[in-house]
Amino acid sequence: MRVVDLSDREADAGLIESCRRGDRRAFRALYDQYKDRVYSIAFYFFHGDASTARDATQQVFLKLIANIGRFRAQAAFSTWLYRLVVNVCLDEARSRKPRPASGAFRAEALAVADSQEEDFARAETAARVRAAIAALPPKFRIAVLMRYFDDLSYEEMAKALRCSMGTVASRLSRSHKMLAERLKVLVE
Amino acid sequence: MKIREHLPLVEAPESIWASIEAALEAKERRRWPSLRWRLAFAVLAISMIAGTLWWRVASRDHWIQTGANAGLTLRIGDIGSVEVGPNTRVRVVADRVDQHRLDLAHGAIYARISAPPRLFFVETHSGTAVDLGCEYGLTMDADGAGLLRVSRGWVSFEWQQLESLVPAGAECRIAPGGGPGIPYFEDAPEAFKNALKNLDLERVLDSARVRDTLSLWHLISRVAPGDRARVFDRIAALSPPPEDISREQALKLDPETLRRWREELAWTW
Repeated sequence: MRVVDLSDREADAGLIESCRRGDRRAFRALYDQYKDRVYSIAFYFFHGDASTARDATQQVFLKLIANIGRFRAQAAFSTWLYRLVVNVCLDEARSRKPRPASGAFRAEALAVADSQEEDFARAETAARVRAAIAALPPKFRIAVLMRYFDDLSYEEMAKALRCSMGTVASRLSRSHKMLAERLKVLVE
Repeated sequence: MKIREHLPLVEAPESIWASIEAALEAKERRRWPSLRWRLAFAVLAISMIAGTLWWRVASRDHWIQTGANAGLTLRIGDIGSVEVGPNTRVRVVADRVDQHRLDLAHGAIYARISAPPRLFFVETHSGTAVDLGCEYGLTMDADGAGLLRVSRGWVSFEWQQLESLVPAGAECRIAPGGGPGIPYFEDAPEAFKNALKNLDLERVLDSARVRDTLSLWHLISRVAPGDRARVFDRIAALSPPPEDISREQALKLDPETLRRWREELAWTW
């Protein structure tokens, strides 16, 4: 696992232009630039379910390839891409039965049980944080992931979520209260 | 506890690209529609574009002037409406799906917009009100002096390199040739508002509440460089900044640091 590197968040305009012309290698380069971030958001959004995250990532990039001609250069590419991510994740969440926060994150913590005690405690904390995020309602969950996973600004998030900045602030505020409540045992 | 630390990047499996390529190839194998259909689509598309362009040209650039006892409501696409008050001169300069733009020469408007940021703009002599999804009133005299008052959401008022971000419950004076002033909450203590009006930094800092960090945050980039540290320290005393907000970077007016700090402070606004 790697730390998120935000230095290359925006795709090069030349690369996008090549994608518009249907250059398959350019698509691959664009995919390589964003795949881990898109996959990670889907992975945490879908409770650590790697199979659904994989399908969602595939759908996002297929939509991107099909619609890149509609992307307007004056907008930030990442905002446009995240709008696709939001649509795919929320559509998929709507079509699935509500499910409790998965045990996948818990299993991840147990997998390191044979390492040092400190490592286990850290993995356990991480698993609890991810499970708490996974238990948020979908619209709140995606906002938290975009904010804390990729450091999008309120304005970028509002554009991706197609809502006002006030709504973004309100969803984040309510999400934080819910997370604080669920994670208070870790702080106490 | 830092949530971000517990959300490391997860590498996407290589197999995803293989399925994307397979889907693309399957799509490419599908046949194109016949030449006749393509021609029919092209004629239809050209007619629609021509019709839309004609409508836009015909409906734009006409000034609307309301009388002393009159008003009207403009519908802004499907994202909201604008009430135009008495003695107001306004015109529509853009009316597209991706951009609605009014020009307010003088008078008063009240906008109710429900949309993602930067779809609705109001141009004035003294800058542009940029909707970030909100409800707000804007008054402007013929010289370009005005007042922006936000009831819901956020509005950004921009002039040259200057920007004031005004949240619900706050207002911002606009000066002719000077752009937006420092925004402040309507419920701020009178002493604070007067000190802000008179540019009395000492009293502004002394009388600020936690919520007034809205004004103090805007002051950081507008006071003399020698005063920035005092403003930073006062904000930090009222609402301690997160660890990743560097004092040094904030005093250098690093845009990313200031943006992140503002979004943290916004929890208290």
